[in-house]
Amino acid sequence: MAVPADNSWPLKREDYELQDVIGAGATAVVQAALCVPRNERVAIKRINLEKCNTTVEELLKEIQAMSQCKHENVVGYYTSFVVKEELWVIMKLCSGGSMLDIIKARMRSGNYKSGVLDEPAIATVLKEVLKGLEYFHNNGQIHRDIKAGNILLGDDGNVYVADFGVSAWLATGKDMTRDSVRHTFVGTPCWMAPEVMEQVTGYDFKADIWSFGITAIELATGTAPYHKYPPMKVLMLTLQNEPPSLDTSAEDKDQYKGYSKICRKMINECLKKDPEKRPTAKQLLKHEFFKKAKDHEYLKKTLLAEGISLKAQKVKRVPGSSGRLHKTQDGGWEWSDDEMDENSQEAKEAVRMGRVSPCCLEQRSLQKVQVCCASRETRCTESHDESPRIKNAPSEFPPVAPNVQADADTPAEGAGPSAAADTLAPPTSTTTSTAPAVTGEKSKTPSPEPPQAIGDAQGKSINLVLRLRNEKRELNDIRFDFKPGHDTPDSVSRELVEAGLVSGRDMIVVAANLQKVVDNADCKAITFALNSGCGPNEAADDKGLIGFAQLSLSEEGKSS
Amino acid sequence: MPLFGTKTKSPQDLVKSLKDSLGQVAKEKGEKEAKKASEDVCKTLQSIKNMLYGTPEQEPQTEHVSQLAMEMYQSNMLLHLVQNLGKIEFEGRKDVVVIFNNLLRRQIGTRSPTVEYICMKSDILMELIRGYETHEIALNCGMMLRECCRYEALAKIMLYCPEFYKFFTYVEVSTFDIASDAFSTFKELITKHRALSAEFLEQNYDKFFTHYQQLLYSENYVTRRQALKLLGELLLDRHNFQTMTRYISSPDNLKLMMIMLREKSRNIQFEAFHVFKVFVANPNKPKAILDILLRNKEKLVEFLTKFHTDRSEDEQFNDEKAYLIKQIKELRPAAQDAADLKAEGGTS
Repeated sequence: MAVPADNSWPLKREDYELQDVIGAGATAVVQAALCVPRNERVAIKRINLEKCNTTVEELLKEIQAMSQCKHENVVGYYTSFVVKEELWVIMKLCSGGSMLDIIKARMRSGNYKSGVLDEPAIATVLKEVLKGLEYFHNNGQIHRDIKAGNILLGDDGNVYVADFGVSAWLATGKDMTRDSVRHTFVGTPCWMAPEVMEQVTGYDFKADIWSFGITAIELATGTAPYHKYPPMKVLMLTLQNEPPSLDTSAEDKDQYKGYSKICRKMINECLKKDPEKRPTAKQLLKHEFFKKAKDHEYLKKTLLAEGISLKAQKVKRVPGSSGRLHKTQDGGWEWSDDEMDENSQEAKEAVRMGRVSPCCLEQRSLQKVQVCCASRETRCTESHDESPRIKNAPSEFPPVAPNVQADADTPAEGAGPSAAADTLAPPTSTTTSTAPAVTGEKSKTPSPEPPQAIGDAQGKSINLVLRLRNEKRELNDIRFDFKPGHDTPDSVSRELVEAGLVSGRDMIVVAANLQKVVDNADCKAITFALNSGCGPNEAADDKGLIGFAQLSLSEEGKSS
Repeated sequence: MPLFGTKTKSPQDLVKSLKDSLGQVAKEKGEKEAKKASEDVCKTLQSIKNMLYGTPEQEPQTEHVSQLAMEMYQSNMLLHLVQNLGKIEFEGRKDVVVIFNNLLRRQIGTRSPTVEYICMKSDILMELIRGYETHEIALNCGMMLRECCRYEALAKIMLYCPEFYKFFTYVEVSTFDIASDAFSTFKELITKHRALSAEFLEQNYDKFFTHYQQLLYSENYVTRRQALKLLGELLLDRHNFQTMTRYISSPDNLKLMMIMLREKSRNIQFEAFHVFKVFVANPNKPKAILDILLRNKEKLVEFLTKFHTDRSEDEQFNDEKAYLIKQIKELRPAAQDAADLKAEGGTS
């Protein structure tokens, strides 16, 4: 078969002969393969879409980012297609492995106590990385996960920046506000810039320069400065201490004295806490340190010559493997994903291993190390104090929980407990009057046999309050009555949706909980999670009713 | 550092030279001339981009920007650029996207002049949509289209043009990046401006859902899964209440969801559940729907009881599932039916 005239890549499974597995995780495998029609070796990342919790949208974003890059220092993306339940991403094969593999192999093989790579090697590798970064930044992209593990070598000694798993668009994607990823934690803590950790002001290209500086330390000493500590501690140390240097993790103070002043200066410039003070990739390329750089032949001779032992390794870092595909310290591969539950076994394992996946650091956890979002966290804490009152006294509702008032911009003063909930937000007063009217007059639903479990409440209408946030994220109380025999949870819930009071996505879950309250005479209030979730900048909180709603009997409820 | 001698070109000059070199590229002359013209196009695009965004040395100047925009409109440059996108080199194409999107976002007070301009030159939109047919430019066109989708007036033109139905083909092409890019544009079009899309869906219900049904039957796992997920979102958006009511009145739709509940893929099962639940929780189920549910009552209860029992963490899902099971258990024939049965003395 001839190469297609338009130089395109084949899209059929049969055109690729799968070869060795070069990386494997729970839901993705990276394999070398031969593209038969082109007679060219490639790397194929096979992602099991059925098992992988990353959404198609996120995968698309990663691939879009890759496809917009054509640069000699960036791993090339060729094409992608679906094979049964797998997504196959065809990429350039970098058979030299990653810089992480190389430094690990060196550290295993000999005594590199005074430094793993020498300055010419570091300068050569990093200069190429900078060219790649400059290209990214000119494109309006931030890489967000620069580290030795994401720097790959081709068998000719060429250097490639890999891993677009977390890269984001800056200039062209003005609506990153819709993208929840941008508001969460991305990257790996040891390499993460302070402003990324703080998440207050947002961040830009300069975050990559910080990670680049950390990577320089990593290439010299073999590890990132705070690699021994758990992620939370890393965050704290990064934010509280002076920026790290070559000597930060040295066991004795002269350990790395072989590295020159100029090298230290370059690292120091990258690791300025104020992002404004860090140089751009373009400026860094002119830094004196990079005059020590040699060419790819040099890397081939010095780094890849040792690669024999590396190639014998069964699993190694591979081109384009996502940031979510982690290599554990014992050399195994692990896949973790954005939806990874902070408390899951997997997440605990990740933390134990000193790694952390995007998103698994919640802001609440951050608060423990006094890092971030003071205002919101304070409110959350308040709500913990307040919440028992809400739960224990369901019939006597405070108009709004204190934490909520701040959110809803309602004046806190004057809204005493007796100042009925109707006053808490303007929309409520209108909705409260319409809702009962709607439910009150309707009795059309044919319901030949009323549901049995209603018991003594039979025939009497039940007054209920559904408390949840509206689209503006203000807390509303929706009062309505439910007449067993006349109303069904379906019909009432549907009306709430029709009236615009409840999101359509929550229609069934509201009905389900309405059923629970109606069925169970002892159940006076119930808090439940909503399908519609919380806003882009919110963290779900059942006490503050963020991503949750509360359904309760109002005072003249069942008992009357 | 820019030398003092090299004066930056005026907006007029830039657009003129872009027009000339683009004309050269389009002619496809000898290799050497073509290469020169192509380089010129890229260089000019760069200068235009710098004029719009500024450079580290020079902030963008409002006066230049508005002159440039005027020139671009008057010379019909946006259309030229889109039409010749395939002939522009890789980096140049990216610059076209950046320039296009920047101009689109341009505002004068509350007006968006480029949006108004494109409203009158809707060829540009058609050309962009057709861009999905050309591998090299598909994603570039996608990025411009999605920027256009943000403006209701432009979204409306795209929804109501015959080209809209091409998306049903584009979302199924074999290249994953193009197909899923087209899908995300398609999704933007029918969800971004909710009142607009609700009206569109109501007015074009039959045509739209005839096409949509094919996506649900697609051979491609990703298409099937994405289409099903989006269907769930569409039906559960309260703006689409009319559409939902109509959709959940059709026995064929219910049957399809019941089949999809049993698909091999758990993700598809799960998405199907979120559509299926709407049929069950309909307080005014038409007879045909009720009949299907009644006929399958025992099986459905059994099926749902065992359905995704490992999702113990997912509170909403479990609430909903328990609720559906209860609802199905309590299903009774409609009052009229029951009366008929009595009258017939149970002979049927």
